[in-house]
Amino acid sequence: MTINIDNKNNDETTTDSASKEMESSRRNFIFGSVAAAGLTVAPGIMLYQTANARSLSDFSLKEGASSKVRWGMLVDTTKEVDWNKCVDACNKEHGLGNETNSRDEQKTQYIRVVEVKNKGTGYSMSLPVMCQHCESAPCVDVCPTGASMKRADGIVLVDRHRCIGCRYCMMACPYKARSFVHEVLTDQTENTPRGKGCVESCNMCVNRIDNGQEPACVEASDGAIIFGDLNDSESSISKILAKHGGKQIRADLKLNPGVFYQGI
Amino acid sequence: MWLHLNFNFSFNSSFVRKSLQRLPLFVVGLALFASFNTVSASQNGLGPEITIPESSGESCVLPSEQMRREHPDILKHDRIQTLREGLRAKADGSTLDGSLKQCVNCHAVKDESNKFVRIDNDQHFCVSCHKYAAVSIDCFQCHRDIPEGSGDFHALTNHKNINYSNVVPGTYNLTIKDMANIAPEVNSDDN
Repeated sequence: MTINIDNKNNDETTTDSASKEMESSRRNFIFGSVAAAGLTVAPGIMLYQTANARSLSDFSLKEGASSKVRWGMLVDTTKEVDWNKCVDACNKEHGLGNETNSRDEQKTQYIRVVEVKNKGTGYSMSLPVMCQHCESAPCVDVCPTGASMKRADGIVLVDRHRCIGCRYCMMACPYKARSFVHEVLTDQTENTPRGKGCVESCNMCVNRIDNGQEPACVEASDGAIIFGDLNDSESSISKILAKHGGKQIRADLKLNPGVFYQGI
Repeated sequence: MWLHLNFNFSFNSSFVRKSLQRLPLFVVGLALFASFNTVSASQNGLGPEITIPESSGESCVLPSEQMRREHPDILKHDRIQTLREGLRAKADGSTLDGSLKQCVNCHAVKDESNKFVRIDNDQHFCVSCHKYAAVSIDCFQCHRDIPEGSGDFHALTNHKNINYSNVVPGTYNLTIKDMANIAPEVNSDDN
């Protein structure tokens, strides 16, 4: 574990306390990951992450997004999880919900909780639907300015510097994942700049991923959402997908989304 | 210079008198404009008053003269790297030169009631100059205009009951990753 602190003041106490604090928070983070690694996929099946799997922190910030990686998520809808917890975590992370003049259906949502009911059997279930981070994303195809883009590591996001707010991508997205900001916003979070006239959607918490953290909804999901590298066969998400499978929503469209579901 | 002016415009004595009366004021104004660091330079009717707020950091990423001229290019260059390429730190792990978050953290201005001023206030660091130069920027339509949390310059602590006047900004070279680990939770309600 390298701690990169270059304190020009040579203030030993500050450095010590800072590194201790950091070490403890890293330990928490590591133990948190280990706890999240032992996952129940279906009742009675436990899966464990192996020690040689690449972890988030292995990817250096200096290198930027790499196409060797493809970030993906696996949502286990069989778990009794209140998906609104994930939505709340998402809203908090990205500072959503600060619209004051928009109607409810206009307000930005990165994650929608969709209720599905089989009328024949009466069976109902709910699942969180966010940007599916498609490999061949229609929103990227149709964007006239190159604002809607796919990062090298598979994350689909909007470059607001280039977005002109035409909303073509909203029309193109089969998952209804994108929202448009209709009004002037204030009090944005510093990690998620957002403002009037731009389309936005789930960005898989790029700022957190680049900092070696998991997306906010994954953290809040009590293990019901697994995040990892789909290109790495040793990652827990790949192992679970290989063993138990997972479904993509509207797989018939052949967009190859990076978000997989179980129990749908 | 005085004699020279007198010689050239001697055919109009009233004009010369007026020019000579105004000249010292003009020279003073020019001098104040040249010494750009002057805080709250009162210029008595020679245009709007400029206030260049002092920043909290020890030094900026480039010398002030260069920053004044080149900051738009640096910001534009680094925003492409950050957003589109996922590069969020320099090779040594330090923050990118054009990190707007870092700009705001160092250059945030507080008003009399010790609260950070927002972008609609003329005292805001960016506004103070851009208003004078009549350049409208739209960065802060999306970006946060004040630091998150209560007066945090660098996330060295958990932002609770800390007297930030003792923390010298800009002396700690932490990576973004370190900062995220040390202070994962920042309470933004204090503003």
